[in-house]
Amino acid sequence: MAAQQNLTHKHLTDEQTKDIDENIEWAKINADVLRSMENPRRGYWVAMFISVALFSVMIYAEVYQYQFGMGPAALNTSHMWDLYISTFVFWIGMSHSGTLLSAILHLVHADWRKPIYRFAEAMTTFSLLTAGIFPVIHLGRVWNFYWVMPYMSDRGLWPNFRSPLIWDAFAITAYLTSSVLFLYIGMIPDLAICRDNAKGWRKKLYTWLSLGWRGDDAQWRNFRFTYLMIACLLIPLAVSVHSIVSMDFSMSIMPGWHVTTFPPYFVAGALYSGCAAIITLFILLRYFFKFEHFMTMPILDKVCKLTFVIAMVWTYLNLVEFASVWYGHDIPSKEVLLAKASGPYSPFFWAMMFFGSVLPFALLSQWIRRNMYVLFFVSVFLNVGMWLERWMIVTPTLSLGYHPQAFNVMWPGWVEWAMVGGSFGWFGMLFLAFVKVFPSVSMYEVKEMVYHRKRTVYEDVDEMMNLHSGVPGPEPDLGPTPAPQTTGGA
Amino acid sequence: MATKIDRRNFLKVLGLGGAGAALAGCDMPSYATLEEGEEQVFSYLAPEEYMVPGIGVWYASTCLQCAAGCGVHGRVREGHALKLEGNPDTAVNKGKLCQMGQSALQTHYNPDRITSPRIGEKNVTWPEALAFIKEKVTGAPVWMTGSISGHQAVLLDIHLNASGGGAHYAVETVNAQVWQAACADALGDAQPNLHIDKALSVLSFGADFLGTWISPVKFMADYGAFRAAPRGVLTVVEPAMTLSGANADHWVAARPGSEAAVALGVAQVLATAYSVSTSALPSGAADAIAAMTPERVSALSGVDAKTLSKIARTLMSNSPSLVIGDGSYETAAAAMMLNLMLGNVGATITPGVELIPTDLGVRNGSTKALADFATDAQAGRIGTAFITGANPVFTAPGGLKIEDALAKIGLKVAVAMFEDETTALCDVVLPLASSLEDWGTHVPATGAGRGEVHVQQPLMEKLHPDVLGLGDIMLGLAQDAGADGLEDFEDYYGYLRTAISAMIGADLEPAWQAVLQAGKVQAPAADRAFTANGAIAINVPETSAPTAGQLSLITTARQGLFDGRHANLPWLQEAPDQISKAVWDSWAEIHPATAAGLGLKDGDYVTITSDSGAITTRVFLYKGVHPDAIAVPMGRGHTHYGRYATGIGVNPLSLLDGTADARTGEFINTTSVRVHATGDNRHLVRLMDVDSQYGRKLAATISADQLRRNQANKQGSA
Amino acid sequence: MPSLLGNIFKGWADYSKGNEEGGHHDYEHMYALAIDLDLCTGCNACSTACYAENNLPVVGEDKFGARQAMHWLRVERYFDEPDMDKIEDTNATDTQSRGASFLPMMCQHCNAAPCEPVCPVGATYHTVDGLNAQVYNRCIGSRYCANNCPFRVRYFNFYDNADSWPAPMDQQLNPDISVRSKGVMEKCSMCIQRTRAARDTAKREGRELKDGDIQTACQQTCPTSAILFGDLLDEASAISKVWKRHQVKLGTYKQDKENPELRGYRIFEELNVDTKVLYLERVREV
Repeated sequence: MAAQQNLTHKHLTDEQTKDIDENIEWAKINADVLRSMENPRRGYWVAMFISVALFSVMIYAEVYQYQFGMGPAALNTSHMWDLYISTFVFWIGMSHSGTLLSAILHLVHADWRKPIYRFAEAMTTFSLLTAGIFPVIHLGRVWNFYWVMPYMSDRGLWPNFRSPLIWDAFAITAYLTSSVLFLYIGMIPDLAICRDNAKGWRKKLYTWLSLGWRGDDAQWRNFRFTYLMIACLLIPLAVSVHSIVSMDFSMSIMPGWHVTTFPPYFVAGALYSGCAAIITLFILLRYFFKFEHFMTMPILDKVCKLTFVIAMVWTYLNLVEFASVWYGHDIPSKEVLLAKASGPYSPFFWAMMFFGSVLPFALLSQWIRRNMYVLFFVSVFLNVGMWLERWMIVTPTLSLGYHPQAFNVMWPGWVEWAMVGGSFGWFGMLFLAFVKVFPSVSMYEVKEMVYHRKRTVYEDVDEMMNLHSGVPGPEPDLGPTPAPQTTGGA
Repeated sequence: MATKIDRRNFLKVLGLGGAGAALAGCDMPSYATLEEGEEQVFSYLAPEEYMVPGIGVWYASTCLQCAAGCGVHGRVREGHALKLEGNPDTAVNKGKLCQMGQSALQTHYNPDRITSPRIGEKNVTWPEALAFIKEKVTGAPVWMTGSISGHQAVLLDIHLNASGGGAHYAVETVNAQVWQAACADALGDAQPNLHIDKALSVLSFGADFLGTWISPVKFMADYGAFRAAPRGVLTVVEPAMTLSGANADHWVAARPGSEAAVALGVAQVLATAYSVSTSALPSGAADAIAAMTPERVSALSGVDAKTLSKIARTLMSNSPSLVIGDGSYETAAAAMMLNLMLGNVGATITPGVELIPTDLGVRNGSTKALADFATDAQAGRIGTAFITGANPVFTAPGGLKIEDALAKIGLKVAVAMFEDETTALCDVVLPLASSLEDWGTHVPATGAGRGEVHVQQPLMEKLHPDVLGLGDIMLGLAQDAGADGLEDFEDYYGYLRTAISAMIGADLEPAWQAVLQAGKVQAPAADRAFTANGAIAINVPETSAPTAGQLSLITTARQGLFDGRHANLPWLQEAPDQISKAVWDSWAEIHPATAAGLGLKDGDYVTITSDSGAITTRVFLYKGVHPDAIAVPMGRGHTHYGRYATGIGVNPLSLLDGTADARTGEFINTTSVRVHATGDNRHLVRLMDVDSQYGRKLAATISADQLRRNQANKQGSA
Repeated sequence: MPSLLGNIFKGWADYSKGNEEGGHHDYEHMYALAIDLDLCTGCNACSTACYAENNLPVVGEDKFGARQAMHWLRVERYFDEPDMDKIEDTNATDTQSRGASFLPMMCQHCNAAPCEPVCPVGATYHTVDGLNAQVYNRCIGSRYCANNCPFRVRYFNFYDNADSWPAPMDQQLNPDISVRSKGVMEKCSMCIQRTRAARDTAKREGRELKDGDIQTACQQTCPTSAILFGDLLDEASAISKVWKRHQVKLGTYKQDKENPELRGYRIFEELNVDTKVLYLERVREV
């Protein structure tokens, strides 16, 4: 690779400062990404096996619960909600990762998002699909779940539109639909590349999915416009969906739930856990698929910094909530806050505060930001903190409501843990399937990024174009010769 | 005289007694009755005129869950009794019913009912059972029952007389014998009328009148009037809080056994500080009172002088008062002395009512009868015993060794609804109809209604075809023993109808219907009169703090499981105990300071050992028990009593040694015990784990002074 | 479109008018309770009568301990008296010096019930009798209503409690009210089956309902007559006289009493849920 010194960071190599090497061959981009979709190695099957196993445990637990009732979930008169709802909120939160990276950063032309937004958007969709399990399985009469849909029932009954749970249903459905659309439409050019390089069932699949993409001007112009429109639609949807999910709590009168700052607090928390998950998956994909050229350290650096900023916003909103309760007159709310800090759930509360507000400061350290191993665990624990946060919202309030007769400490049982673990298994299954069937790095957007970076480096467009005109330049080491490109790929 | 139980006579009783005789429901046209003695099948295609599917019919009957004998209305739909309410026309309960009465439905529909006679382990038919009894009976049979009254009691006496003059042991663990003895000694009337509603202050020494004493539903209704303006003040002195104590304005913990000392101490304060005269008292009492100085009271009971003055002041400021006592003869007698001093006799205590047909009157159960039974059995004086309405193997003090006594009885016949510890030791068990399936008359425990006798009628067909009503069984036995005058009666229904018709002086159908619809029949009654009192001996026991390592065990009765008879009713097992709010298990109440001294915390298991036995249960810490006491409620600890009671809890009666009260022969319900922690701890399951309102206005309280200001302001009365 | 807007405006007008008139909303009846805590002895007869009347399952020790019991009406017992803290307890010793305070707690049938808006399928709503109704058939068991109840008087069927009634106990079940399956929320209904039956009887007899025609099971059995049930919209009824005497009004969260020492109060009134159970303070002679 031609190495050029970047004058601002003398002690770091190009590799460590440049978001992407602008001299990457487009053929290499295709080859690397397509290679990632080839037959999986053993590690992949191990991961898939674990995911399926977790998911099977969840199926077993659900069948058990379906048969016997909600009792085995250790729920009771005081704790009518527990891990199902907190994990539901957690997964909705995770889903904001893709939207942030895909849509928001797209609108502000932060092109460093381009190599990583694909898997983030996939994460969004799959998080939503995972989250969508919980409102169904937490119902006492699961088989009647469809009554929350507004359909023309023979009894002339409609759902209760005043209920935040119905708003949830609409918001999540809308958001899921838009996210799937966004993911899919954004993938069409890539699916065309895959189509051109695939054989067998894959070729049929990609041909069908790429909708006859030829890559000509008119198509690209329509594509850009559509993509932008969906991005603009998606952002308010993302904000609204988690605000609405937060209204499950803030529309209630329970102490500790009836908090006005919940909508922005939840959205901030969602962005936070999404970013942390992006870091985690970034590290995994980069390592296992050898995407070092695309998922570069500087990009990771930027993601970490973004995570830190969001963590501080979240911390601020957390402290605002505590302060307003502390200085307020609502005694039951204050008691709930004190119980969170000093009662039976306090170890988890302080763990949440540590992982959520203290641990992100590790992201300020350049060494940590560049150290994959440490960063992996930091990001996982950031998400553990966010999961704990959801749990600490749901359970302490229910254990100490208004009425002392109902004061009760409850710990989740095996059924609930099985469902929580199973949700990770389900997500894992979906994501693992995705990375092997669809390109987890957006090839065309990486090429766009390389092109734009090159334009900033090379004054002379002609010289830049020479590098891709077929005139031999320095030989890149690509491995086996890739298949001939069609116009859609180049 | 040998008793001949003729099979054919008895067989005639079967199938007819209790089956579909005239059922008169309220608001029913009088012509819509059933033929007597015919089996009835309710067909939906051609139902009886009165039976409209979907519309309930109400029938009047009597509750037999305790000896109070409240009248009930049972709601019957499609031939099933579904709900019981109080009978508004019976003076005892005036339309109200306690939780034991509500649960009579579960007694009736209980899946553990005995449905067939059995001999030993084998189920047999009635003829076989009766033949066996006839063959094995020796000597004059005796009857053990609970409190019993009405025509069943009459037949019981007839049977005993005709079969050799055997004894009748009426056994009740929860009773008011000591109070009745004190009233008899002081007033010449064992069952005077107590007018709680007319009193402005009530002082109770351990008499749980709201919970289990004599007639709780009646007293609760009176209590309602007691608290209405002008509001009465309730003071309760007892070693462990009962339901009455839980409603007291002023509750005083007294060392177990020392309540008499406190009562006499209050009397002493009245005599000295308030110059109340003791001249009306029987001889002996005045001296006992004078000797009971506050210092002595404090030493005996732990109650200080300030409390004594407070109690005395309450009595003097809120007149008329009423003082009641239970637990020991001394306590009851001392309470009666206070009544005499305060002039309550004639005001809030008036002479009771005597039924003119005295044979119908209540044979009040006692534990002395159980002691006599055990003594007689041990001495070999009992050859044959019929047992019904009593479970002596469960309720007898451990020290009585009742099982050994029973083993000495040749033939034991149990007439019971459920298998229990006693039926397990009996040779023959005969299945008994429940109170919802049977006929009877019952005299309520108090004299409310002046001669009102409650009628019990079946609310529905027998659930199990082979059960028989108590009256039918007694009638059959009496007939076979050759009793005179019973030959014309085919069943108890016939006997009862004849007897009641004689009482009301009319035997036509409408008159009978009227009786059944009212659920009661008025018998002639006369007021008793108080007689002057002679001498009375109040021997206050020398109670002192227990020696180190010992506590005083008190066995308390709770309205709910009572003496254990209702432990097989799931509603009552799941109904939280009124004070501790515990469910489904026993507990031992202990003061927090005592617990701290023993190193105990809530939920710790302890073994409580006396000379007569040992039990292991969890402790419950609260301040409503005297620091020297450990209180374990009776009612659980069954080893044989169906699926809802067996193996649950512990029976504290097994720790008692059978020491009896000198004057009445009643078992003392306290004994000295040692308490050791076992090391186990498990959270006691309660309705609520908190005892505090956390500053939230839930069960708010206002002081009586504020209330009086309300009334004075006339801006709204409470 | 115009009719949609018209409907929205009319709905808002009805709602705010209803609030001004003390929350009466053109109701036909306004059933309410009054419970005198000075008369309540804590005997628990009301709770057992409720079990008998409403087919409540007995869950056993383990489930009761896991707080999965189904007591629609529970009698709570407290040993402290926060309002009396200002008055010196001259009898105080290290043992109890007073009795306990008992509180029968059941669904308060709030006129502004927090449980009603949050049910996703509308299984709980306010009837024209003023009752908060729970429709078992419609409930899908999301349990949001129970979370939103500050009194915690909503009970969820965590199990199919069929083993609560082994034969022949199932013959005692009241056919006027269903036996709920697992997954369904339930709570005190102020014996709605008795209300309906009384209305039908009155209609059959060609007369109006009068005060005393309907007795809830708890009221009927209470030995001290501590519980009173009736129609607040019937000026002649005993219950409206009690509410009036204690100067407690519906539709407000701060009562304006001329005499602040009147005994009537509502629990958690400051939450503005407009409950319809009036409690009369327990009296304590000090």
